[in-house]
Amino acid sequence: MPQMGVSVAEGTIVEWRKRPGDWVEADEPIVQIDTDKVETEIPSPASGRVKEILVEVGTTVDVGTLLATIDTGATPGEAHADEHVDAAGQADVADAEAKPPPVSPVVRRIADEHGVDLGRVQGSGRRGRVTKKDLLAFLENGAPKLHSESPYVEDQAPAAGGQELSIMRKRIADHMVHSLQTAAHCTTMVEADMSRIEAARGRLSYLPFVARAVIAALREYPMLNATLEGDRLTVHEDVHLGIAVSLGEDGLIVPVVHNAHELSHEGLAARVKDLAERARDRRLEPDEVAGGTFTITNPGRYGALLATPIINQPQVAILDLEAVVKRPVVVTDEHGNDSIAIRPMTYLCMSWDHRALDGALAAQFLSAVRRNIEEWRS
Amino acid sequence: MATTTARPAALDSQREAQKAKLTVDDRRALLRYMLMMRGAEERAITLYRQVKVPGSFYDGRGQEAVSVGSAFALAPRDRCCVLHRDLGAHFVRGLRVGQYLCNYMGRTGSPTGGKDGNMHFGDPRLGCVGMVSMLPDMSLVACGLALAFQMRREPRVAMTWFGEGSTANGVWHEAMNIAGIRKLPVVFILENNQFAYSTPNEHEFAVDPVERAQGYGFSGVKVDGNDVEAVFEAAAEACERARGGGGPTLIEAVTMRMHGHGAHDDMRYVPKELLEEWAGRDPIDRYRTRLAGEGIDVGAIEREVAEEIARETEWALAQPMPEPATATEGVFATEDPDLGDGAAPWSRWAS
Amino acid sequence: MNATSEITYLQAISDGLREEMRADESVFCMGEDIGAFGGAFKVTDGFIEEFGADRVWDTPLAENAIVGTAVGAAVEGLRPVCEMQFADFIACGFDELVNVAAKLHYRQGLAVPMVVRLPSGGGFSGGPFHSQNPEAWFLQSPGLKVVAPSTAEDAKGLIASAIRDPNPVIYLEHKNLYRHVKGEVAEGRYETPLGEARLAREGSDLTVVTYGAMVHTALEATEDLEGASVEVLDLRTLQPLDTEAILRSVRKTSKVVVLYEATRSCGVGAEVASIVAEEAFEDLDGPVVRVCAPDVPIPFSPPLERAVLPQVDDVKEACRELLAY
Repeated sequence: MPQMGVSVAEGTIVEWRKRPGDWVEADEPIVQIDTDKVETEIPSPASGRVKEILVEVGTTVDVGTLLATIDTGATPGEAHADEHVDAAGQADVADAEAKPPPVSPVVRRIADEHGVDLGRVQGSGRRGRVTKKDLLAFLENGAPKLHSESPYVEDQAPAAGGQELSIMRKRIADHMVHSLQTAAHCTTMVEADMSRIEAARGRLSYLPFVARAVIAALREYPMLNATLEGDRLTVHEDVHLGIAVSLGEDGLIVPVVHNAHELSHEGLAARVKDLAERARDRRLEPDEVAGGTFTITNPGRYGALLATPIINQPQVAILDLEAVVKRPVVVTDEHGNDSIAIRPMTYLCMSWDHRALDGALAAQFLSAVRRNIEEWRS
Repeated sequence: MATTTARPAALDSQREAQKAKLTVDDRRALLRYMLMMRGAEERAITLYRQVKVPGSFYDGRGQEAVSVGSAFALAPRDRCCVLHRDLGAHFVRGLRVGQYLCNYMGRTGSPTGGKDGNMHFGDPRLGCVGMVSMLPDMSLVACGLALAFQMRREPRVAMTWFGEGSTANGVWHEAMNIAGIRKLPVVFILENNQFAYSTPNEHEFAVDPVERAQGYGFSGVKVDGNDVEAVFEAAAEACERARGGGGPTLIEAVTMRMHGHGAHDDMRYVPKELLEEWAGRDPIDRYRTRLAGEGIDVGAIEREVAEEIARETEWALAQPMPEPATATEGVFATEDPDLGDGAAPWSRWAS
Repeated sequence: MNATSEITYLQAISDGLREEMRADESVFCMGEDIGAFGGAFKVTDGFIEEFGADRVWDTPLAENAIVGTAVGAAVEGLRPVCEMQFADFIACGFDELVNVAAKLHYRQGLAVPMVVRLPSGGGFSGGPFHSQNPEAWFLQSPGLKVVAPSTAEDAKGLIASAIRDPNPVIYLEHKNLYRHVKGEVAEGRYETPLGEARLAREGSDLTVVTYGAMVHTALEATEDLEGASVEVLDLRTLQPLDTEAILRSVRKTSKVVVLYEATRSCGVGAEVASIVAEEAFEDLDGPVVRVCAPDVPIPFSPPLERAVLPQVDDVKEACRELLAY
């Protein structure tokens, strides 16, 4: 495992580009790894035939750990003794990583007969496959074996052909209506120049940087990091940042990065990625969707510019990060001279609860966020 | 079921006298059956050329005396496995010409219902077991039939035919051997028609097979295969021996295959002189001449046979092709009916 | 209810054959060394003394003759029971079997009520010519029925049914079961129906479809498989196959292992797997797996033979994998 940066102590295998028995040229990409800093391809140190893979995909090891061995004495084109076997076996593994587990004919049939969304059923088979047993148990017990306060709600009603909203959709609907009826919604917007973040972000998205900027601003303006229940306002010191994750047609869910103030933007990136993945796989724990103090939603990649998000109760504010778009803007140099420059700009749209705070505070907070963004330093 | 007959000497000689006796009617019948075989095969080859017969066509032209003469000796309860040049045997046992034609044409009305073609048939109601292509597999089946008679102590005979070519085959050896060891009541008719497809005798065996019978423990006799009465006498004697517990006989009937192996064979390997020589010994011509000389109205027999063949042909052509659904039927038996008895036109069997 | 006694598989075949010969005079035995010697495996021991040389025929060394003669005798109303000294030698009588016996009824409407007994199977260093399981050859010959009992009880009942059936029946008796398998067998005559499988063990998680000696291997392998409930279906008849029983089991467990001692290609395993895939596709919760010998002649040396013939561990492994799928 290479050291990709001074502070990097470990790395995770993302994908092996070569399998045992494969021929690899020197400098040819052999493996893709992920560290806190960055995801990167590692070039092979030598030409030869890959002998053994010692660390499998998904495993995190210390820098310096032996990942694989290459037989540099081999010649290209000669068959490897275990090639056939390995190829077949590794193909299975590669497949397992790449493709979702299959739905067997009997599971498909029973699921169709009962109108069950297989996404709601826990799979105990190979590669997380839902087996016949899993499905029958699901039908018998009527509920997956999750915490009673599960963030997911199983759908008992037949989904196919029905006009009714799914239960998850209903819950989202209820929450949204409740929020609008409870809070006094206002939305304030600032625009921010994302140049520095653009330069710094590399392969990461904007979100972790903006989140970092938001967290810093919340530390400065803790009144925005608060929850209001009835008449009771609680201002929190720790930032538990909710990040909205789309579940496609099913709806959305807001997993929470607890103690987000302790994380760098890289740390935030990693945590968000993990939570998002698990959210889509329906593998979040109940704790992970509770206890947020501020929420960021980021539908920006779809190109919309402005939005008026609905507050995630019982918080007092929610920030919507929309698209980053190149625009001509007026820039003033240190001598006070104005000129037009093309900059990546974005609107930060924050809805806030007028019961808990006023416009001035909202604007100040947002300006702080903008400042943090525009003065970004790694 | 088991009966052993002790025969007094007087009966013995009486039986001797009776054994090969042929009445005028018997003689007429012999000619009739030979004419029927020839006429039916000529009709069939015409149908073949008219594309009414799928697959291949085989005949026994020139060999009519062999099958007719030998089958004529059989009693009603005897059984036989008939081969492809022995159509006469089928007719002697009672098969209709129309059934034969239907089998070639693959129509219903045939003994196989279209399941098998050309000469691969036998009417079980007449005690005939049909042949397979692998020669001489039926010689063993005939041994089996004979074994049943022996085990049940019945004075019955199994008869089968094969060509000289199949004496080269291991199965023939196994059949001869078994027959000899057990002294089975079986009569083997070896039709030596000089050619097995294109292979002449000298390529099939080093020793005339009739002599090999001795090696298996029983007698072999050679007869003129184109003399229907000679064949009949030899067969009748062999049957009698078998019935009396004397065991098997190999009868080599020397004849000539006047047509190719099948209609697809132009026989170019047969020297013309040989064919001409044998044409002069045609079994039907010879017998017709002889009977005419004895005052028998052979013309009437010929006309009768021709009319019968014409009627039978009309009947056969009216039979429908089998239903496709029947193709998958009948693989397994659900019942086990007995073989029937054949006709036995020899006057000896008229009681 | 008849009294029962515990007898070996071999004794059961012998008893069954004896009962049929006593009940019907037309039943008789033919084969090499079956008379005075009592048979290579002693199945017909004592028979010639009871039934006479006529009905217990020591044939010459001529398999085609045995089979072909049996056909003729059967056509004439007798019921011959042929013995091949080893299943492998049926190859020498193959022609009469598949070209004459098998096709006679289809072509001529003639019933051929004969039985060909084949001492089959390996596991005792018999080598390539004394260890075969040639059932697939016969499954490819329409007109032949094929049975393969695994228990003493079925061995007796199936020889009786085979003899009473008006068709040529191949009776596979596994040599390894002769003295190793015992069972409670009823006295007197009884017939086990052809074409009917038997549940050797009921289960719900996975089905092992098998026959012959492998039934015992399957039972042993799946007795204690980490709590899994494994159903073992003993086919008993291979032609005609009890398709209904197979499908019924597949619908229940949704996972199938076909276990057979014969070589892999185009055998009973392929047939069962195809039937399941065609007719129970929507009941499958995993692929149909075959456990069998690879496509090699059966080797002689014990470690080689063990490597080729399916062992208990092979069955365990296949079942475990499929259970986990």
